[in-house]
Amino acid sequence: MLFKDAFKTSTRSLMHGKMRSILTMLGIVIGIASVIILMSIGQSAQDLILGQVQSVGSNLIIITPGAPNNGKFSSPASAQGIVITSLQQRDVDSISREPSVNEAASFVSGIAEVVFGNNNKTVSYQGVTSNMFSVRNLTLGKGFVFTKGDVDSGNHVVVIGPDLANTLFGTTLSPIDKTIRVKNVSFRVVGVLSKGGVGAFGVDQGNIVIMPITVAQKQLLGISYLNVILAQANPTYDINFAKSRITFALRQNHGITDPNKDDFNIQTQADILAILGTITSIFTLFLAAIASISLIVGGIGIMNIMLVSVTERTREIGLRKAVGATNGDILQQFLIESVLLTFTGGAIGIAIGGGVVGLIYIVLKNFSSIGWVFAFPISSVILGLLVSGIAGIAFGIYPAYQAGKKNPIDALRYE
Amino acid sequence: MIEVNNLKKEYFEGETTTKALRGVTFSIKKGEFVSIMGPSGSGKSTLLHVLSFLDRPTGGTYEFENKSIDKMSDQELAQVRNKDMGFVFQSFNLLSRLSVHDNVEIPLLYSDIPPNKRLKLIEEAVHAVGLEEKLHTEAGRLSGGQKQRVAIARALVTDPNVIFADEPTGNLDSESGLQVMEILESLNDKGRTVILVTHETQTAEFANRIIRIKDGMVESDKKIIPNRIHRGNLK
Repeated sequence: MLFKDAFKTSTRSLMHGKMRSILTMLGIVIGIASVIILMSIGQSAQDLILGQVQSVGSNLIIITPGAPNNGKFSSPASAQGIVITSLQQRDVDSISREPSVNEAASFVSGIAEVVFGNNNKTVSYQGVTSNMFSVRNLTLGKGFVFTKGDVDSGNHVVVIGPDLANTLFGTTLSPIDKTIRVKNVSFRVVGVLSKGGVGAFGVDQGNIVIMPITVAQKQLLGISYLNVILAQANPTYDINFAKSRITFALRQNHGITDPNKDDFNIQTQADILAILGTITSIFTLFLAAIASISLIVGGIGIMNIMLVSVTERTREIGLRKAVGATNGDILQQFLIESVLLTFTGGAIGIAIGGGVVGLIYIVLKNFSSIGWVFAFPISSVILGLLVSGIAGIAFGIYPAYQAGKKNPIDALRYE
Repeated sequence: MIEVNNLKKEYFEGETTTKALRGVTFSIKKGEFVSIMGPSGSGKSTLLHVLSFLDRPTGGTYEFENKSIDKMSDQELAQVRNKDMGFVFQSFNLLSRLSVHDNVEIPLLYSDIPPNKRLKLIEEAVHAVGLEEKLHTEAGRLSGGQKQRVAIARALVTDPNVIFADEPTGNLDSESGLQVMEILESLNDKGRTVILVTHETQTAEFANRIIRIKDGMVESDKKIIPNRIHRGNLK
C-alpha cells in the first residue's frame, strides 16, 4: 500500500469521528503545552538569573575569606556564621599592583535600620571603596558617587538604592543632601542608584545603603578586616592568569606554602555562571519532567481510544484483509492514525504553549518590576514535536499490532 | 485451477476438537460456475474460507493455479486474494460512510495498480453492476440489493479470475437476489470462475455444477444444466 493512500485512509477515518479525535488529542495538547510553558519559564528564569550575575560586571574576580570547598557542597564559612579575618587592606593593595588586574575594590557589609524623619527601614549596608561603583557597573540615577577622598578621610556620605529612597523620601522630595541615620550614625545622601534588579550576593539593590568602607569598618562594625574583595581583570590578560596571580599574591601575604591550606577563595564570574547555569538547567529539566507526566497520561488516553477503535472496526479490518491488505498494511494504517493524532495535538500544544508564554511575558513586564525575559526556546518546539511523534508511535504500536494480527475470518464474523 | 485433496480443517478449543472438514477432494476448472450446498454446520462456509485463502487447512493439500497453499506466506496469500480473487459476502461488508467509489477502490489500495489508472477501473466495475449513477453516493444510503451490487463491483475491480460468493442473496429480497445472480451469471459467461456457497436450491441451480457437503465431507458432486426456469420463481 502506498504511504499516500494509507495517509488518506487514516485522515478520512479520523475525520469521520471528529469529536472523538479532538477529545483524544486534548491529552497530548495539554501535555505538550505544559512542557513548552514550563521549559520556557525555566529558560526565562535562567536568562534572568544569569543576566543579573553578568550585570555585576564582566571580568570580575571575587575573593572571599575561608578555605575553598574544592567542589564539595558546603556553604562558605562566612555564611555559616564563622568570622574569618584573613582578608586585609594590604591584600587589596597587593592585588591592585598586579598588571593583570585593572583595579581591586573591597567591601564589608551588615544590616542596619535607616531612618529619615518618621520613615525607617531595615536594610543591608555596604562599606565599599570608591572604585566599587565602576568595578560592579553600578550606575546612578541621581547625584554623584563618593570619592576616594571621602573614603580616605572617612566622610559620612552615602549612596542609597532607589526603592529605599522612595520609602524614606517619597516621590516628591529629593534625597540629595538630606541627612539620614544609619545605626544612629548620621550620613549625607550624595547619590541614588538607578533602578536595577537583585544585585550581587543576593542583596536587593533597590534597598541598599552604600558608604565609604572606612566609616563602615570603624563606626558601624568595629572591625579592620574585609568581607569581600572584588578585582576586575585587565581584559588584555586571560582571566585565569589574573586568578593565578592573585592566588600567588595572597599566599605570599598570608605566608601560605601548602596550597591545600589556602585561607581564601577565588571565584571568577565564569565559575559562578557555570554553577548557576547547572542549577537552573536542572531546575528547567525538573519542570519539564513534571510536565511530561501529563504527556504520559495523554498518551495512555490515545492508546485506550485506539484500542477501542480497533475493536469497533474489526469488520473493516477483516474486509481489508480479505481484499488483500497485509498485516503490515493494517498496522501502518492504525499507526498513522495515532501519530497523526499526537502530532496534530503536539502542534496545537506548541501553539497554545507559545501563546501562554507570551501572555506571561506581557503580564510580568507590565504589572511587575521583575525584569522578565521572553524565552521560547526553539529546542522546546523541536522536542515537543519529536516527543508527540514518538508518543504516537509508542502508544499506537500496541493497538496497531493488535489490529494487524487479526485473523480475517474472525474479523469478518465479528458482530 | 483449484485442486483439493483430502482437505481437512479442525478447530481446537481447549480440550475439544471440532472437525469442520473431514477429507474433501475435488477439482474445479477455469470458467466453471460451482455451487457448494449443504445444511448449516455442514462445513460449506469453512470450505469456502479455505478455498479463498482466508483460512489455512489443517490437513490434506490445496493447490490454487498449481501453487500449494502450504508453501505460501501470509503476505503471498494476501497478494493472491488481491489479484486473483474477488469476494462477495452475505452481509456486504461495505464501509457505510464511504462513497461507492471509495468502497470499490479499497482492493486497488492494496494492489500495485498506480493511482492514475484507478478511476477507469472503478468506473468499469461500477458500470458492470449498473450503478454508474450512484458512484458518489454514500454506501450506507443504498438499498440492500444496491449494496450487494457495489460489493460485486468491489470484487470485480482488480479483474480476478475467480469470484467467491458466500450466500450473496441471503440478505436480499427475491428481486434483488435475482439481479445479483444474473450479474454473477454474466460474469461467468465472460469466462470468470464463480464459486458460490448457498443453502437455497434455486440460487444454487444458476451454477453448472453442485457440490453437496454434509458433515464435512462431499456427499455428492454433480454437473447440471443451469436451471434458468427458476428465475420466474425467484421473481
